[in-house]
Amino acid sequence: MPEVKKWAMDVRMSFQKTGMAKFISHLDTVRCITRAMKRACVPIWFTEGFNPHAFLTFAMPLSLGFESLCETVDFRLMEETDLNELAERLNNALPVDITVKEIYIYETSPNDIRWAEYKIIFNNPDNLLLEQAEKILSSNEIMVLKKVKKGRNKVEKEVNIKEHIKSFELENENGKLVLKTILSSGTSTNINPMLLIGALVKDTETDEQDVDIIKVQSYTENMEIFK
Amino acid sequence: MVKKEVEKLLKKVQKPARYTGGELNSVIKDKNNVKLRYAFCFPDNYEIGMSHLGMKILYSLVNAREDAWCERVFAPWEDMEALMRENSIKLYALESGDNLDEFDLVGFTLQYELSYTNVLNMLDLGGISVLKKDRTSLTPIVIAGGPCVCNAEPMVDFIDIFLPGEGEEVTNDLIDLLIEHKEKGSTRLEFLREAAKIEGVYVPEFYDVNYNEDGTIKSIENKETAPPKVKKRIISDLDAVHYPKDFVVPFIDVVQDRTVGEVFRGCIRGCRFCQAGFIYRPIREKSPEVINEQCRSISDATGYDEISLCSLSTSDYTNIEKLIPMLFNWALKENINVSLPSLRVDNFSDELMEELKKVRRSGLTFAPEAGTQRLRDAINKNVTEEDVLKTALKAFDGGWTSVKLYFMMGLPTETLDDIKGIADLAQKVVDTFYHNPNKPKGKGVQVSVSCASFVPKPFTPFQWEPQDTADMLIEKQKHLLSSTTSRKITISYHQSDTSVLEGVLARGDRRLGEVIYKAWKKGCKFDSWDEFFDFPKWREAFNECNLTTEFYANRRRDYDEILPWDIMDYGIRKEFLIDENKKAHLSETTPHCRIKCSACGANKLNGGKCDARS
Repeated sequence: MPEVKKWAMDVRMSFQKTGMAKFISHLDTVRCITRAMKRACVPIWFTEGFNPHAFLTFAMPLSLGFESLCETVDFRLMEETDLNELAERLNNALPVDITVKEIYIYETSPNDIRWAEYKIIFNNPDNLLLEQAEKILSSNEIMVLKKVKKGRNKVEKEVNIKEHIKSFELENENGKLVLKTILSSGTSTNINPMLLIGALVKDTETDEQDVDIIKVQSYTENMEIFK
Repeated sequence: MVKKEVEKLLKKVQKPARYTGGELNSVIKDKNNVKLRYAFCFPDNYEIGMSHLGMKILYSLVNAREDAWCERVFAPWEDMEALMRENSIKLYALESGDNLDEFDLVGFTLQYELSYTNVLNMLDLGGISVLKKDRTSLTPIVIAGGPCVCNAEPMVDFIDIFLPGEGEEVTNDLIDLLIEHKEKGSTRLEFLREAAKIEGVYVPEFYDVNYNEDGTIKSIENKETAPPKVKKRIISDLDAVHYPKDFVVPFIDVVQDRTVGEVFRGCIRGCRFCQAGFIYRPIREKSPEVINEQCRSISDATGYDEISLCSLSTSDYTNIEKLIPMLFNWALKENINVSLPSLRVDNFSDELMEELKKVRRSGLTFAPEAGTQRLRDAINKNVTEEDVLKTALKAFDGGWTSVKLYFMMGLPTETLDDIKGIADLAQKVVDTFYHNPNKPKGKGVQVSVSCASFVPKPFTPFQWEPQDTADMLIEKQKHLLSSTTSRKITISYHQSDTSVLEGVLARGDRRLGEVIYKAWKKGCKFDSWDEFFDFPKWREAFNECNLTTEFYANRRRDYDEILPWDIMDYGIRKEFLIDENKKAHLSETTPHCRIKCSACGANKLNGGKCDARS
């Protein structure tokens, strides 16, 4: 028997998560968006098991404490829908710091994501930080302790993340140090910028928690913007 | 609207979204456009506080006024409190981010005794003097409501005004009065004198309590404008009273995170151990149309995928068979689940059972409360062993394989035979499963027995009874374990020291204020959390005040002793409670209110009306 498609449209929503929304964890974001869909009466497709639930696919979970300008979530619509009007309706149903940018028909898969660009702002950098950061980023080896899966357990392993840094740019901005960098991202290898930040501030007086991290853009293997 | 210096701290704490505010449906106003600012404080963490229906009702009620703004405040968790103290950041309200000491009314809800130290800690963190005698300006006025207010005495050193009973009307009365006095520039005393004239307002400083040499109360004298007894307020028409059109939707997972439909207030059952069953009388119902509409509105405004019906015993709702299909009619289509807590499955019709099968089923729970029929009669829990086993059989037929049984330990008149009865009843449930030819194939049964320690509470027939000591409870717990033979039964029970403290605070008098203060100074807080509860510190505090827990918890009181809560009038007649106490000792039951009115007296609060008799 041929499989019958039970929904009308496959769509992707791109959205920003900024300001205080950075303190909403990934799982809480999923729930928050699910509820917004319900409030906005989005005709979303539900799974058909014993516990039907809204079917949402997020490209990459965003760490707690990060802001992002480039989040995406894929879902299915039960009926043909005006996507611009839908985006507006959803924006009215979402908390202020989560904003829909666009809802569109997509051609790529979240698996195509290979790189992510971050803007990292050290709010209160140590005098030595700029020099040290430049030196570390330019060296051939950046060793960090990374949690890796070993069978069922997670263990800490020392790894070189140099090859996972595509580019970097350091700048002083009104007493703050701004690092723009492109790091490996995606399902196979994902480098959390906190790993790099930890390596950069090591042995300085800079507080690694007094840092703003903004995910700016995701890219594919060929450095095309993921859309 | 969290301040920049707070935002910095949030990167270092667990679950930062507890402290950010900005949730959907939270209410933001311009503080310059309101005449009164109200901080509604829940003396426990965000997840517990955000689950509380009373807070949602009052938040929405106050914010429906143009001249007042109500905000939410919760007790910060340990990690956040440490950072706040270290960085001199005061406790703030989630909507505006403004400090607690900038508010006119600071209201606490006292839902359980073990949250008392958190009240002190929150006042202190918010920059407000903990002791009311140190607060001299008109505002902030610190008020408290909730069930524990039926015996507010242990907290009188810290709270200016208590509001016994239901808060919807009296909150507005008090706000009106405080606005008037703010505008007039009254003193604190002038305001309190007028407040004490409002029905349902208890101003403790207008009462003197004198003690006998043995520590019991000699007399309670009212002065100033205070009435001799404070009568609790109730809402007469539940269909007309304010109910929220939406709920604030938390970002993080909280304990109760769903649409709640309030079905009725009060209870017809009269279980003698249950304080809620007496202090919320008389019974008043909402009509199914109103409940349905309210659930609809909240579900639309929140996006919740679950509705829960709330009352003390939902299956006693006279219109339950009408309400359930009304809710199912729209909810199931929208993938919204309807869950029904506190149900007695036995008195359900087959049609309703069929309806219920449509929704996700949760575990099956019974509360026989006691192990033998004699003791169940003594506590007036009118459930028989046959009821339990019959319902269990019905449930096993329907595919359930796990059952929870709730019991209490330390009930008045209880013997070790009654404890063994708990194990026997659990065993009979196991046997019922295995003797049932229709049992689910290839599955075993799991019976979880949960045993709470009984704590005698004011305004119940057991208010005069001695509470079991910790040693007695531990012995009973051991006896229960040794009486249980099947591996299909798991037993769990509460820590007995927390029950002792709960019992002391529940029936305590004004002298306990000093103990609470000292315990808090020693670092006690979050006493209802096992990881924080520190009984040795409480013991020290009692010793330093020359008071004992035994005096409050383990002593039998005479019927004619003046009780600390005699100041309060909850409608229930003392003679009725005495009769019920005597019947308990004879293991005699009292039929529920729809079978026969026992003239408890609560209906006089409602002009003689009671929905149990309509």
